[in-house]
Amino acid sequence: MTDDPVTAVVLAAGEGRRLEPLTNRRPKPMLPVATRPILEYVIEAIREAGIDRIVLVVGYRQERIRNHFGDGDDWDVDVEYVEQANQLGTGHALLQAEPAVGDRFVVLNGDRIVDADLVRRVREATLAGDAPVMAVTDVDHPREYGVVTLDGEDRVTGIAEKPEAPVSTSRINAGVYGFTAAVFDAIRETSPTGELALTDTLDRIADENPITAIGYRGQWLDVSYLWDLLRVNASLVGADEEADAGSDADSAPEIADDVVVGDDVRLGANAVVGGGSALGENATVGPNAVVEGSVVFPDAVIEAGAVVRDAVVAGNARVGANATIAGGRSTVVVDDEVHPDVRLGGVVGDNATVGGGATLVPGTVLGDVSRVDPGAVVSGTIEPDAVVRRG
Amino acid sequence: MCGIIGYVGDEAAAPIVYQGLENLEYRGYDSAGIALVNGARATGDVAADGGLTVAKRSGEVSNLTVPDAPDATCGIGHTRWSTHGPPTDANAHPHVDCAESIAVVHNGIIENHEALKAELGDHEFTSETDTEVVPHLLESELSETAGGDAVDLRTAVERVVDRLEGSYAVCAIHAGENRIVAARDGSPLVVGHGEDAAFLASDVTAFLEHTREVTYLEDGDVVDLSADGDVEVFAPSDDAASDASVPDSSASSDANAFLSRRPVDRSVETVEWEADAAEKAGYEHYMRKEIHEQPTALRQTLSGRVDVDRARVDLDVSFPEALLERIEEVQIVACGTSYYAGRYAARLIESFADVRTTVEIASEYAFGAGRDPDRTLTIAVTQSGETADTLGAIRRADSAGARTLAVTNTLGSSVTRAVDDAVFIRAGPEIGVAATKTFASQVTTLALLAVALGRERGTLSASRARSVLENLRGLPGAVQQALDAEADVVAAAEQYRDEDAFFFLGRDLGVPVALEGALKLKEIAYDHAEGFPAGELKHGPLALVTDRTPVLAVLTEGGSPAETMTNVTEAQTRGADAIGCVSADREFGTLDVAFEVPDVGLLEPLVANVYFQLFAYHVANEKSRAIDKPRNLAKSVTVE
Repeated sequence: MTDDPVTAVVLAAGEGRRLEPLTNRRPKPMLPVATRPILEYVIEAIREAGIDRIVLVVGYRQERIRNHFGDGDDWDVDVEYVEQANQLGTGHALLQAEPAVGDRFVVLNGDRIVDADLVRRVREATLAGDAPVMAVTDVDHPREYGVVTLDGEDRVTGIAEKPEAPVSTSRINAGVYGFTAAVFDAIRETSPTGELALTDTLDRIADENPITAIGYRGQWLDVSYLWDLLRVNASLVGADEEADAGSDADSAPEIADDVVVGDDVRLGANAVVGGGSALGENATVGPNAVVEGSVVFPDAVIEAGAVVRDAVVAGNARVGANATIAGGRSTVVVDDEVHPDVRLGGVVGDNATVGGGATLVPGTVLGDVSRVDPGAVVSGTIEPDAVVRRG
Repeated sequence: MCGIIGYVGDEAAAPIVYQGLENLEYRGYDSAGIALVNGARATGDVAADGGLTVAKRSGEVSNLTVPDAPDATCGIGHTRWSTHGPPTDANAHPHVDCAESIAVVHNGIIENHEALKAELGDHEFTSETDTEVVPHLLESELSETAGGDAVDLRTAVERVVDRLEGSYAVCAIHAGENRIVAARDGSPLVVGHGEDAAFLASDVTAFLEHTREVTYLEDGDVVDLSADGDVEVFAPSDDAASDASVPDSSASSDANAFLSRRPVDRSVETVEWEADAAEKAGYEHYMRKEIHEQPTALRQTLSGRVDVDRARVDLDVSFPEALLERIEEVQIVACGTSYYAGRYAARLIESFADVRTTVEIASEYAFGAGRDPDRTLTIAVTQSGETADTLGAIRRADSAGARTLAVTNTLGSSVTRAVDDAVFIRAGPEIGVAATKTFASQVTTLALLAVALGRERGTLSASRARSVLENLRGLPGAVQQALDAEADVVAAAEQYRDEDAFFFLGRDLGVPVALEGALKLKEIAYDHAEGFPAGELKHGPLALVTDRTPVLAVLTEGGSPAETMTNVTEAQTRGADAIGCVSADREFGTLDVAFEVPDVGLLEPLVANVYFQLFAYHVANEKSRAIDKPRNLAKSVTVE
């Protein structure tokens, strides 16, 4: 164990089902924004906050996480892994880390991007003996998160997960905590097998065991839905100073300033990559193709003349020549919930193929390994492995 | 084989040496040992008693009890893969002299050890190894005097190694001196430069967590590491090498008869491998980690080398134009998995570059009659770059006058010195004894070479080259897709784990993959597995097929799937179950299990191979085999 008495536990075992089909092959924390996994931003914030020992709780598709982070040397941290074999909830996930932590530790979600400063403040409060500590922040749609009630500014008295009734506050649980080892017994008392959310435990103990609230107004980026990936990506590529300028030749590709391009990306002549986009490693954008406001994963291929706007093109997917994802807003249904007026040109799942000249109506989601025949017009949600014929 | 580690500096040596042995265990795990110079760390000096502490025993490194010697700051260690003498405590290295004041570790084979031993009649030997003559020879040398002064350890090592025949990397320590003297000829040895410390090892992975600044030693070098981390290298000087050559043993006491060595500057290089790339990242086995690393490894292999638009490949080697024009034969020499990679590549080279290409098992290779060396390119394929059989073969090609090229994973390895040009596969360190990601990276690198040769010779059209290069760029994503289907392979492994035997079938580019698939299952699951060209099944092996012998077939592009399926059906008719790796746009409804291979043209069999790797891994895992350290094997086979 290192000298710093505070370890960070990052919960990264969950699946992220609302982000299907992208999470069929990778856990949500490994979705790339600005060509890097969300979890990488979390780990960097932890390191910048002065914590160099990180316990990753992994489960679903954990190979992706282990392959990427290894033992943490590339990030100057020591990464250890504990496995949550069945995804039974965040309380159960945290219990798996019990043997790997000392008396004081901070806990973060692997799929929320926060500033290092917040982690530092939670760490200091934990060291100062204020645990349990919970960071709280304000959002526009509080009912999608854990809405907290406060006594004054610095005391959490209750948490309601995704409340159905309207709420009068915009204050939510930001998903960064500081605990002592006492939290493990509290989880076990709430639910002997820990099959509950961590927040259920915290809600239960809030009365007798005051929870210190730490108010936070910095960057708080959460990818709940497919279209959030585009929004979060755009906000991060804008912040990234690095962009390929391209050459002056007449046929050189045009790349906007707020674009992040991974290694070994191949850009054809006259290709245009517009603002808010990210191109993953080894991806291809063919001649005269246009990519705007989109996230292209590693190994994906966008063929000559295709138009890809407001879209996610997942790993090793192929968008055929002159295919069109025109972009714009539409109504998208996820798990029987209707989400009107979201900006999502379309999603092309991993290894899916969009035939030449095909068109994706805004809001179309193609499952992984699905195939759209050349010239077809497709809308709605297409199941994995399905074939869409022209008709 | 065998792994060597040495440390001298200002920290306790035992834990560093032990960690180094763990890192080197892939090179052998029959026995392990450590020797330390008893030290007095507070004064930065040696202990007054001036002795050595030696601990060694048979079995894996974890069986070894590390001496509790916080004051010892100089030590050597060894992990063994047996060649001479079975794996016993006595045969474990380090070996010592009669007075137990000299300890030696050795990798390689000393061919004249019997003759040397006969000369040392009054010395007492305790092991059956070839190595043990070295500490006793050193003892004799150190007891001599030169002009009244005692002989120095470095002089003694120089005199001794010049009498050794065979291949070796040896490291010696001497009681009363915080210092290591080592020498190499034919076996790998690399120096690591630390802060006030120096390291020696068979492979950089042994000390990568301490330093990335390394010096690769060359054959004939003697190196002297002193207590403060200073490193001096001495190489035979050209004059001496040309006139004195090998001294005869009767003149052994005459210093003038030995090679004269002079101090030389060997460059310091920075290793780019990450220390953690050689660690397990929480995987149960290196092999599974390395299987899953294949998409990353392949992107590295391809990175910066492919220009699809111009249909060009840049491998940073340039062959003389005259050779490209007149070339009549490309020869590939390799062993084991690398040999199968060569078989795959040979078909591509022949087809793209329009030149006869032969592949030979390195230990069987000779530069045959009827060939013109001036019109021959010989390619050595070896992951470690230290495979003795392959080194021997490429040297035979070189002395015949052929142009030579190495395709290897290891910078600074012996093969890179033995050839005209080297191309690196950039797969990153591979620790699992069963090769996985390096096979994929070898085939990919050789496919790039095939395209390069075809383009330069004008035998491969730009449009065909472009389509192959696009397929190569599609390979990392296609392999990822196979890895994502691991759960299906686990199910198949559970279903078939207890069958009597496994037959792997393929045609065309599927043949080397069938052979490689069978090799994996043999190596790590210890199951009877055979790979056959599918058409050969009916000419004999079909007699072995029963309802307890599943067949695994490559049914993809590049592997004549329809014809292969005919042979699979022959086996099914005899009751065997059939598992097939099938191109995404095909369907063989009669297969018992089918794994889908995405469209990457001629590289599809390489994706099928990923399914075979996972199958072998999970069958072995179901049987609780020692997957990373299969019995009787070692990774880097540096003996012939």
